[in-house]
Amino acid sequence: MVLIVGVIVLITVNIILLSLFNRRYISYYGPGRIAISIVAPFQKATSTSIRFVRDIWRHYFFLVNASKENEGLRKDLNRAFERNVQFKEFELSNARLRNLLNFQKNITDRVLAAEIIGKDPSPWFKTVLIDKGKHDGVEKGMAVVIPEGIAGQTTEVSAHYSKVLLIIDHNSAVDALVQRDRARGIIKGGSAGQCIFKYVLRKHDVVVDDIVVSSGLDGVFPKGLSVGYVSGVVKPKSGIFQEVTVTPYVDFEKLEEVLVVLNPEKREFEKEK
Amino acid sequence: MTYCYHVCICLFLIIVQTTVMPYIPLFKGFYDLLTPFFIYLSIFRPLRESIPVILFFGFVMETISGGTFGLYLTTYLWLFIGVRWVITFLHVGNNPLLPFIVVAGVLMQNFIFVGSSVIFEPGLRFTSEMSITIGVQVFWAIFTGPMFLMFFNYSFGKWDKRVKEISSRKVDR
Repeated sequence: MVLIVGVIVLITVNIILLSLFNRRYISYYGPGRIAISIVAPFQKATSTSIRFVRDIWRHYFFLVNASKENEGLRKDLNRAFERNVQFKEFELSNARLRNLLNFQKNITDRVLAAEIIGKDPSPWFKTVLIDKGKHDGVEKGMAVVIPEGIAGQTTEVSAHYSKVLLIIDHNSAVDALVQRDRARGIIKGGSAGQCIFKYVLRKHDVVVDDIVVSSGLDGVFPKGLSVGYVSGVVKPKSGIFQEVTVTPYVDFEKLEEVLVVLNPEKREFEKEK
Repeated sequence: MTYCYHVCICLFLIIVQTTVMPYIPLFKGFYDLLTPFFIYLSIFRPLRESIPVILFFGFVMETISGGTFGLYLTTYLWLFIGVRWVITFLHVGNNPLLPFIVVAGVLMQNFIFVGSSVIFEPGLRFTSEMSITIGVQVFWAIFTGPMFLMFFNYSFGKWDKRVKEISSRKVDR
């Protein structure tokens, strides 16, 4: 009887503690940073070795297919060249319009390249460790992107390493909108590498294949970065929201390098101080 | 020296599961490799040896993972308590029982992780994808769990023997 009561009390205390930790942000400055600093160098050394071996394999043993691939790539390059000329025209007009609208931000000036050195040990959580930290200018809450779209945001920063919460984690939230319809909602992590676009009003005509971009209203991700495309829409008979599933453009299984969007204004301000 | 062995093994297992296994599609959805090691500690090692290692590496796992702080420590400590309780009436050094112990540990970890997500995040549903993830982990645990336990037991025996040999040589000199 005493044993059963003891176990029930322990479980209750355990749930209360977990609930407290879940509601309040726990800063890992101190021992937490030391723990990351212990593990991360080994992770970096291992992942660098794996990439080295894989690159040797790709460069020297896969040369048989390289000539065929080269021909195909040449054709692609010619097509890409034509498209590039068109895009340059768009870029110039875009730059003019941006100046006209007093857009001062330019994402290409404010990014820091980082390598992924470790993934989350549990399949239930989606975080990665990158090899850039506080000494490189990374701070907590900075957007992490790749050319395909948004990857996540930094949640822990140690001296040389940072932890990134990916947008497919169920703790992640990104303020986003549908590019065509401007329907606004919150992108949350779902299951099977997909995201759920929550709080989208039923009145909006969201359809499959619509592109979802960041709204910039969360103060983390710059406006207009692609998140993914709509892969499923369910309009329930009752309720004010519709259920929208979004497939991210980023392939998180193959994620190796990322760009951290820095905050130049803040850094300049700190220098002035 | 015993702690040195435990630290090396734990670091090795963490590195393998965070940097090597993600590159191998076959091991997608593999269970937490520290689970069989902590089961090994609970069954075969004394309390004063096991608890510091479990607490320290539980904390390390908390910092490198994205879950609520305390989930790994909760899992590992309950796993330790559970296994310690089980060995009071079951002779688990007996090999046929080892897969069940590891499977129970893996199931308990998943139950705590999924349970905490469901409790603390209203609206989160238990999907088929989740049951597949648990199923895959159980499958791996049945076949590889006992091998891990036997490996830890064997390698620690070798380590201990070697350390004793070295220390006796020093005493002889």
